Amino acid sequence: MTILPVTAAHALAVAQADALQAYRDLAPYRVQVALEADGWHVDYQLKDPHRKGGGPHYVIDATSAMIVSKRYEQ
Amino acid sequence: MEFTLLQPNNQRCANGLRWGILNVQAPTTAELLNHPLVQQALEDAWADSLADDAARRHQEGGWVYADLGSGAITTRRASAGATANIGLDHPPTVPGAVVVATFHTHPNPSAEGWDPGPSTDDMQSAFILGVPCLIRADDGVHATGPDSRRGGLAGGPGFPP
Repeated sequence: MTILPVTAAHALAVAQADALQAYRDLAPYRVQVALEADGWHVDYQLKDPHRKGGGPHYVIDATSAMIVSKRYEQ
Repeated sequence: MEFTLLQPNNQRCANGLRWGILNVQAPTTAELLNHPLVQQALEDAWADSLADDAARRHQEGGWVYADLGSGAITTRRASAGATANIGLDHPPTVPGAVVVATFHTHPNPSAEGWDPGPSTDDMQSAFILGVPCLIRADDGVHATGPDSRRGGLAGGPGFPP
């Protein structure tokens, strides 16, 4: 089993710090964290499927914890 | 035979019947985006979104209705939304009319990395609710979801069943 230097919780913390600055309130969102070939994917999606809007989407480097890419949906 | 909804009120068809009685097809996204009342509603919502105010910018939106008798288009506004979301799932009932679209704004600037176009949630909710989703953003107007109200004008007030 490979031990990653960046855990899912760490990747989520990095994403959340950025997301809170942009979105102010993350309560309407459900977050999904998944390890892919290019890093941790952290995706925020609205909990209510009837609601209009969008959330942030991140790729976090699994060795450095840097944000590789981010996309702000609205 | 097919009749479009966006005709002058009380106009009669070639067979002498009022066009609205026969019409079962809801207005399309393109027809709605060309309608002056819809364009005005989008611009009013955009102005109220305070897009130039980084601290107070927020989403605004509402619903577009078609009157079942005359075909007249009207709009209603929803309560103000949040930075990047708004609830449009409880349209007020307008007697004799059905919801044919929702509209809302994307006030967060493209220059700061925000995507001006429809989000994944916008698209999914539009197909769930069954009407086109019209969006005013800083780069213009976008649309997603079905091209017209699901099932035409049938199904009673509010969103289609």
